[in-house]
Amino acid sequence: MADIVEQDTQDQIEDTQKGKFLTFCMGSEFYGIEIKYVTEIIGLQPITEIPEMPIYIKGIINLRGKIIPVMDVRLRFKKPFREYNDRTCIVVIDIREVSIGLIVDSVSEVISIPDEEIVAPPNMAKEGNKYIKGIGKVGSDVKLLLDSDKLLNETDLENMSDL
Amino acid sequence: MKKLLIVDDAAFMRLTIRTMLQKYEIEVIGEAVNGAIGVEMYKQLHPDVVTMDITMPEMSGIEALKAIKAFDPQAKVIMVSAMGQEGMVKEAIISGAKTFIVKPFKEEFFYQTICKVIGI
Amino acid sequence: MSNRYVNEPMLDLFIFESMQLIEQMELLIISNEKSSSYASDAINEIFRIMHTIKGSSAMMLYNNISTLAHSIEDLFFVLREDKPQNVDYSELSDLVLEGLDFIKVEIVKIRNGDEADGDASELIKSLRVFHATIKGKDLCAKDQHVAEGAVSHEDYTPEKQQYYISKVRTDTTSLKNTFQATLRFEPDCGMENLRAFGIINELGDLAEEYYHIPEDLDHEDSARIISEQGFTLLLKTERSLEEIHRGLLQTSALKDLQLNQVENCDLFNDLLKERKISLEDSSARVPASCGRDRLANEHEDNEIHVTANQPSIINVSVAKLDQLMDLVGEMVIAEAMVTQNPDLKGLELNNFEKAARQLRKIASELQDTVMSVRMVPLAGTFQKMNRTLRDMCKKLNKEVRLQLIGQETEVDKNIIEHISDPLMHLIRNSIDHGIEMPEEREARGKTRLGTITLEAKNAGGDVLIIIRDDGEGFNKDRILAKAREKGLIRVPEDEITDKEIYNLVFLPGFSTNEAVTEFSGRGVGMDVVVKNIEAVGGTIATDSVSGKGTTITLKIPLTLAIIDGMNIKVGDARYTIPTTAIKESFRPKMTEVIVDPDDNEMMMVRGQCFPILRLHDIYHIQTDVTHFTDGIIIMVEQDNKTLCIFADELIGQQQVVVKALPTYIRDTKKVRGLAGCTLLGDGSISLILDVAGLIGFRQ
Repeated sequence: MADIVEQDTQDQIEDTQKGKFLTFCMGSEFYGIEIKYVTEIIGLQPITEIPEMPIYIKGIINLRGKIIPVMDVRLRFKKPFREYNDRTCIVVIDIREVSIGLIVDSVSEVISIPDEEIVAPPNMAKEGNKYIKGIGKVGSDVKLLLDSDKLLNETDLENMSDL
Repeated sequence: MKKLLIVDDAAFMRLTIRTMLQKYEIEVIGEAVNGAIGVEMYKQLHPDVVTMDITMPEMSGIEALKAIKAFDPQAKVIMVSAMGQEGMVKEAIISGAKTFIVKPFKEEFFYQTICKVIGI
Repeated sequence: MSNRYVNEPMLDLFIFESMQLIEQMELLIISNEKSSSYASDAINEIFRIMHTIKGSSAMMLYNNISTLAHSIEDLFFVLREDKPQNVDYSELSDLVLEGLDFIKVEIVKIRNGDEADGDASELIKSLRVFHATIKGKDLCAKDQHVAEGAVSHEDYTPEKQQYYISKVRTDTTSLKNTFQATLRFEPDCGMENLRAFGIINELGDLAEEYYHIPEDLDHEDSARIISEQGFTLLLKTERSLEEIHRGLLQTSALKDLQLNQVENCDLFNDLLKERKISLEDSSARVPASCGRDRLANEHEDNEIHVTANQPSIINVSVAKLDQLMDLVGEMVIAEAMVTQNPDLKGLELNNFEKAARQLRKIASELQDTVMSVRMVPLAGTFQKMNRTLRDMCKKLNKEVRLQLIGQETEVDKNIIEHISDPLMHLIRNSIDHGIEMPEEREARGKTRLGTITLEAKNAGGDVLIIIRDDGEGFNKDRILAKAREKGLIRVPEDEITDKEIYNLVFLPGFSTNEAVTEFSGRGVGMDVVVKNIEAVGGTIATDSVSGKGTTITLKIPLTLAIIDGMNIKVGDARYTIPTTAIKESFRPKMTEVIVDPDDNEMMMVRGQCFPILRLHDIYHIQTDVTHFTDGIIIMVEQDNKTLCIFADELIGQQQVVVKALPTYIRDTKKVRGLAGCTLLGDGSISLILDVAGLIGFRQ
């Protein structure tokens, strides 16, 4: 019985987080990621490299005793690498028990984007588009909404063969 | 708070009984894993009531019952039985068991039985 | 799920205790079935075990298990009481083992949170038939009825269902009171006839004369009758209504009591007359011996053995132990973070150092103790193999005995779970393909009875489990041919040693058997074994002598959680090498370094040549230390292979908590040479090196 109640509460929490996105910036573009996956945002930390990983996996960090891998989103999207500075953040996301930190240029704000304002992504050949779930309109701005699942799970075959 | 001694060789039964009595004003002051230890514990702990399993190694429930009654004729012992043990239950009654309870039993019924026996 | 009174601890204990009892019983059966009859101690114990399981499962409302246990209990009751001759013990064992298997399956379902919905009715029928056959000549019609599974509800009509009231009123000659009481018991309270008996038993001082309906409380239908119609008591007493009322209310499981004073005591006299007549008439006297659990028998086992040194044992949930282990791990890290804190660097802190040493000592002891709590002897797992052996032998008509050595050897609880299946598979393999048929063995001059030895012993930080059989050994040529066929051979064939050939069987997708036997399966079986062993950080190896037998050795680390490690530095990166693998470390001299024509660097140590592995090279780390004489060599060894690891410098030795690399990393790629990671005192992460993997770099 208790389980059912718990699940309901969990669903409720998720519902209130629905439609809310954490936006961050990469170069001139703004991206959004569903807030329900975001567990925390931290500043840059010393990263321990792991050999033989794809280039966008920078390594692992120590987050209060828990060891979490970090991914450079720029490199994941095959954009040019930018040196980290004090605005660089790590957005820690947690999907189905897998945690990962996304290294982004800077973090912007949390905004609500109603479903009506989200359209499907255009079918462009540009790299990184397979990770876009939709395009959200906020006023005159446009946010590229990320598919967190794909971000985590797509094995980039090209990168693998480099190793 | 009334004191109860559990005598049963099955850890599961001991836990079940203890769990059932948690919310009542009955304190489980001891658990004996066979009849012989049960008799010793009775002598040392003087519980108000005893739940006694019938089938146990080392010393059966009937033997332990007799020994306890010999030590304390006023002892209140409830036999815990399973179906098919009519003969032994009868002997237990003759030997001075206050009453008996048959597995499976529910918590409420169990509690009522104990209440009747110790008069609360 | 509805009416089940259950909570987690009770369920866990039910599962735990029942499984324990089942395993005990299984052993008893296996060891007894070979003789012409079961030892009476064994019969008693099996009876008690089934009785206990019957009770517990009934309490948990798992009626299918309870009913099955009841049937087996009945069977062993007959064996105990009647001591019948000519019992087919082989069939009995098969039946009972089948019953145990059923219960095991149900309990596994329960453990997994599924419904225990198994149907044992076929098996119960077979048990009843067997029960009937061993009861043999003593079979009375009633028992036969029972054997066929029909519930006997003979209609027992007591001599008098009603009273009849005498029409003639006669004066009472005594001053005694006559009361009539009708008692009804709670439905399903069980043994209503004995509850009634209990009332009668205590009536002694309350009533001078009494009569009750039903009259015969020993009759098997009396309980049902009382349950349906109530228990009627008629008594003559000096006591008052209130006293009788109070007395009868003491009855347990009493649902309803009706008590009236009866004026007409003629009634009583009439009924007494009736009773006398019916007593003389007794035809429906059911023999008491058909009743179960005869009183006499309890007196047999009368000796009081109070076992003096009963070990104090307490059951702890594994989850709590895991939690404890995690906490201890974190404490080890925290201790390092305090005592090796960068803030303290360079300071002279004598008192602090002393206190820190004390802390380290206590932490170390705590850690050892917690780890030992989690250690469980292999005995349980080894004993399970008896059943596997027995079943295999029966099915294949082979004769093999199992010899167990070193069962008391302990391993971490987590590991136990991963060992059971691989061991079972290996033993099945041994019997299926290793041990020859008895006739063949005799023809080869071997003993008819084959032997499989299962041995466990400690070796440094590992536990060795050795499975040895005296069968026909591996067929070297067949293995080589199969490996060649599957393209599994990496080295020129003339350079492979026999031992290496035998170890080819562990490669995935390998099997020399075309026919997939029911037991051994295709190569799927062996490489699952390897996976399971590797999952606990262990290794597997084999050796064989044609015609003599095969030996398979499993090497499993005692614990994976906390190890003694040597931290090293390569550039900005930190690595940790398990100290158990380190032989020595030194600063190399150029004179000791050799480079072969293929540019492989090697180290000369006391006349022997070992390959050098440059960590910065294989892991592409930036470091200024590339010249041998600037850095340090750490010589490591695993599985008789030695490697010289070149690093910048040694940082220090410490106990490290092994943490697995994050799932995401592991899923992306399994990096050779990395076993996990750990947190150092200053909060930085050190990667733990897997020596066996590193050795693979230079092969």
